[in-house]
Amino acid sequence: MTRLIVVRLLFGALTLWAVSLVVFAATQALPGDAAQMILGRDATPQRVEALRDQLNLHEPVAVQYLQWLQGILQGDLGTSYSNRMPVDEVLASPVGSSLALMGLAALVATPVALAVGAFSALRRDRAFDHASSLGTLVVASIPEFVVGILLILLLGPGGFDLLPSVYSRVGGPDQWVLPVLTLAFAVAPPIVRMMRATMIEVLESEYVQQARLKGLDERTVLWRHAAPNAIGPVAQVVALQLAWLAGGVVAVEFLFNFPGVGKILMDAIENRDVPLIQAVVLLIAGVYILVNLLADVIGLAANPKVRVANR
Amino acid sequence: MSTPSTAVARSAAARTRRAGLLRGAWGFGRTKLGVVLTGLVVLVAVAGPFVAPYTPTEFVAKPFETGVDGTVFGGDNRGRDVLTRFLWGGWTLLLLAGSAAGIGVVAGAVVGVVAGYQRGWLDDVVMRANDVLLAFPQLIAALLVMSVLGPKVWLIVAVIAVSHMPRVARVVREATRKVIEQDYVKAAEAIGLPRWRIMAVEILPNVTSPLLVELGLRLTYSIGVVAVLGFLGMGLQPPTADWGLMINENRQGMAVQPWAVALPVSAIAVLTIGVNLITDGLSRAAIGIDRGVGK
Amino acid sequence: MPSLPEDPQTPRALAPSRRSLLRASAAGAAVAPVLAACGGDSGSGGSGGGEPQRGGRLRVGVAGGGVNDTLDAHEPTDNVDIARNHALYATLVRYTNDGAVENHLAESFEPNEDATEWTVVLKEGLTFHDDSPVTADSVIFSLRRILDPDNPLRGAGDMAGVDPDALEAVDERTVLIRCTEPTVTLPDALAEYYNCVVPEGYDPKDPVGCGPFRHVEFTAGEYSLFERHEGYHEEGLPYVDELEIVDFPEDDARVNALNSGSVDLISQVPHAQVPVIEGNPDLDIMESETGMWLPFTMRVDRAPFDDVRVRQAFRLIVDRQEMVDQALAGYGQVGNDMYARMDPSYPEDFEQREQDIDEAKRLLAEAGHEDGLEVELVTSDISAGTVAAAEVFQEQAREAGVTVNLRRVNPSDYWNEEEGFPYAFGQDFWSARNYITQAAQGSVVGAPYNETMWGEDEEWLGHLEEARRTADEEARNELIRKAQRIEYEKGGYIVWGFVNLLDGHSTAVHGLEPAVSGHPLGSYAFHRVWMQQ
Repeated sequence: MTRLIVVRLLFGALTLWAVSLVVFAATQALPGDAAQMILGRDATPQRVEALRDQLNLHEPVAVQYLQWLQGILQGDLGTSYSNRMPVDEVLASPVGSSLALMGLAALVATPVALAVGAFSALRRDRAFDHASSLGTLVVASIPEFVVGILLILLLGPGGFDLLPSVYSRVGGPDQWVLPVLTLAFAVAPPIVRMMRATMIEVLESEYVQQARLKGLDERTVLWRHAAPNAIGPVAQVVALQLAWLAGGVVAVEFLFNFPGVGKILMDAIENRDVPLIQAVVLLIAGVYILVNLLADVIGLAANPKVRVANR
Repeated sequence: MSTPSTAVARSAAARTRRAGLLRGAWGFGRTKLGVVLTGLVVLVAVAGPFVAPYTPTEFVAKPFETGVDGTVFGGDNRGRDVLTRFLWGGWTLLLLAGSAAGIGVVAGAVVGVVAGYQRGWLDDVVMRANDVLLAFPQLIAALLVMSVLGPKVWLIVAVIAVSHMPRVARVVREATRKVIEQDYVKAAEAIGLPRWRIMAVEILPNVTSPLLVELGLRLTYSIGVVAVLGFLGMGLQPPTADWGLMINENRQGMAVQPWAVALPVSAIAVLTIGVNLITDGLSRAAIGIDRGVGK
Repeated sequence: MPSLPEDPQTPRALAPSRRSLLRASAAGAAVAPVLAACGGDSGSGGSGGGEPQRGGRLRVGVAGGGVNDTLDAHEPTDNVDIARNHALYATLVRYTNDGAVENHLAESFEPNEDATEWTVVLKEGLTFHDDSPVTADSVIFSLRRILDPDNPLRGAGDMAGVDPDALEAVDERTVLIRCTEPTVTLPDALAEYYNCVVPEGYDPKDPVGCGPFRHVEFTAGEYSLFERHEGYHEEGLPYVDELEIVDFPEDDARVNALNSGSVDLISQVPHAQVPVIEGNPDLDIMESETGMWLPFTMRVDRAPFDDVRVRQAFRLIVDRQEMVDQALAGYGQVGNDMYARMDPSYPEDFEQREQDIDEAKRLLAEAGHEDGLEVELVTSDISAGTVAAAEVFQEQAREAGVTVNLRRVNPSDYWNEEEGFPYAFGQDFWSARNYITQAAQGSVVGAPYNETMWGEDEEWLGHLEEARRTADEEARNELIRKAQRIEYEKGGYIVWGFVNLLDGHSTAVHGLEPAVSGHPLGSYAFHRVWMQQ
């Protein structure tokens, strides 16, 4: 199994490299000249020329790519065009905010989803199970930004006016509620479903049947014997959902004006801030690959049979 | 020379299986609900432009004004009729999402069948390339491409279709692996039918169940991505009436004029729920297990 | 549900006496795009009632800001920089709320006969924040810093005629400014906030000025805290003890902050949020008419606009009131294809151009486009209202058989030549300037932003050149009006309207008055604001 994990890791690194190539190529294809773009309306031919030199824009593309890649490997992500600050400094605070947002969403969603899933399994084919099955299906269908807007319309200033609908630096902690809730709704359904399916499988296993036969009461059976066996596959789904969050936060952050990586990405696209776009896309892809890998490893550790359960 | 008859029999069997799948799916109450919901939104989107009271770019109110005579839901961010723009804004979403899902599924099916049947290095290469494509979160990939090449209609369709392809291919490849173990494929090979024919006539009809389910899933997802691109301002461009774009344009006036956001948002929600309910019914009928939560 | 403005249909008539005083202030065209919002209502302006009270901390949310924020006196760019500049620094002369130029640090400011020499006398007893006196040498140091040939700062372009080496301190309080050519526009230039006076040896890291507030704390992209300058020269001002300016790049967040009471005053309320503020009894809106304009630009050297009939037809296509109503939500005034609205030379007597589709069709047919015409209009979100205006024009043009295809360009690429700038048919936004200054920026051959490629008309150029050499105001305005007539009949701009600015404030804030400069919050007149205690 160690060998398998090593192979996966190597392949992950390879994928990340391929992604870097794609990202670089894509940003190279951006129309317009970077130097011209930075200077905007203040551009004079001399200033453009000087900046071109500074940005190594005279070098061949392959050299530019290698310089860029070398920089990244040394932790130098370049300088943002729009505010001339090192990209890692620009990203430090948004990355923290995004991680906090995703963490909170996972923290809210996971326990609730696990409880609902487990309860559905126990109440299999009864009213609660049907309701939760339909509920998860419905919630999972709706794009997350639509969920967010529905929440704003309901709870925001236009509705019951309970919670602020945009984030601002001077706002209180209540401005976290809607973004966290939106993301929680987005990640919960698959966890519920996986928990339910796994629990059903576990409850029907010989192992649990035997525990029952031994005369242990149902609660002990459930928490001592059934639940621990469901952890593996469920943990995998949780990890996959976290990976999804890495990309899914963009629209949610944009919607709530939340100062995270997603919003930075949208701003960078607006400003054509190439180094920032490159860094954010690479970062998100990196997290995505890494967490997917983690999910794989968890899957392998929990059950060798689900080795190909990657999405 | 029993080949033609066997082939006919096989595809007839496939056809029955497909009909059985649809009938089986229809047996679930939620499928019926899904068809009704989807039908409702499709009706609005398709018939809307014909019954709209104004043209989508005509000014009938002041920006974000409500309670204007002659309008039901007031004006949008420019003062255009919200109802009219809602009625006009659906077909673009359906068309884009539909073609993206369709192209993605067809391409994915071809790749999946070929990879699954040919095996060997081709399979390896295709599946590794797939893994790289899968490493990109779909929305991020779409945003990257849109920001580089500019939001163009064909590009929206292409990007989403390409991002669907590896996911579909993976499923179809698995299904193909199972099918080629069957006797009739072996028989067809034995009598020396060309490989492309085997793939087209023997394999493809027998992987329709997972394909249909994939189509549903991919359609749900396409609707989401097209809408979110519009919402982020990276999809269709003004002054087009489009649900995603409508949300983006009217977001700022949400507290004053909620209709301009609420209508398209509800339509997108109902549509995605409807399609996903149908998909769920299909997959239950096909495999008997829950599907349809894939993002 | 409240509708937006009370009655934006009625064009706001200005009292003639006031109009004659209206003059322009130039905010550079490069002020951060998008953030420049517009329009407003109420007409009452700020809330002025009662005896001014002293003390308190005024917390202001200003649109814009980012890590590039600077306190450099002569290099402000973003709105927040401009706001802080007005608080920290002071200029020799300044614009009044209606756009005239009045003395500020200067006691007198007089030209010689042909405006090649200007004499400035400073007021007595002026002090900087560090209690050092403001002297003739400070003025010379400031001007030389701005005009430094190796690193010309923002204001250098407005004062091309000033010879930095020939500046002379006649005595402690008197400076002689010599120009290489007649420079009638020098008062306009020196009234600009970015041409303010700083002490000798000024270092932006220690932002000492002689404005109403002095620096205490500053974090780029976030906020600044200033305190009252006890030695400020205007008796009794400022009223508040402390001034906190907070950056708010996001419209919604700024309005929220005002709504929740975390700031007392915000600049640039987006139209859509006006009802939100009006619905709150503790808040009010101040609307300021300005001379800021968002023209369509037609290149007079490119088909089809090289035919004057097409240009005139396009000007006749525009329903200006509808444009103001839809693109600015009614918060603006109708334009008449002429800029420099606040200039005393502004041609009030030119007949107001109205939509005339039949005449437009006739002109187009004459120009050979009887079967319709298809043009591309390049638009961008460079200022609030530009994209909306393009969409409205597209709709209006349809009636005249003109198909307008919109091409939307990213704001940061809009002035990029690789995108095709200057476009055959495009847009721009300009702050208020006087005619001569504006023409130098956008209408003469070789002007930095001559988007219409206008300026080769010899008759027009003749009038303009002569006006620039004429120190006598009456005679100069006569010449300008002749030039304006030619531009009005043949030029490449469609000036459909002027933007009103909307600022929001708590009802406890008093002393705000609308200013025509195009800068929000009455040209950031924090020194006149007082708070009910």
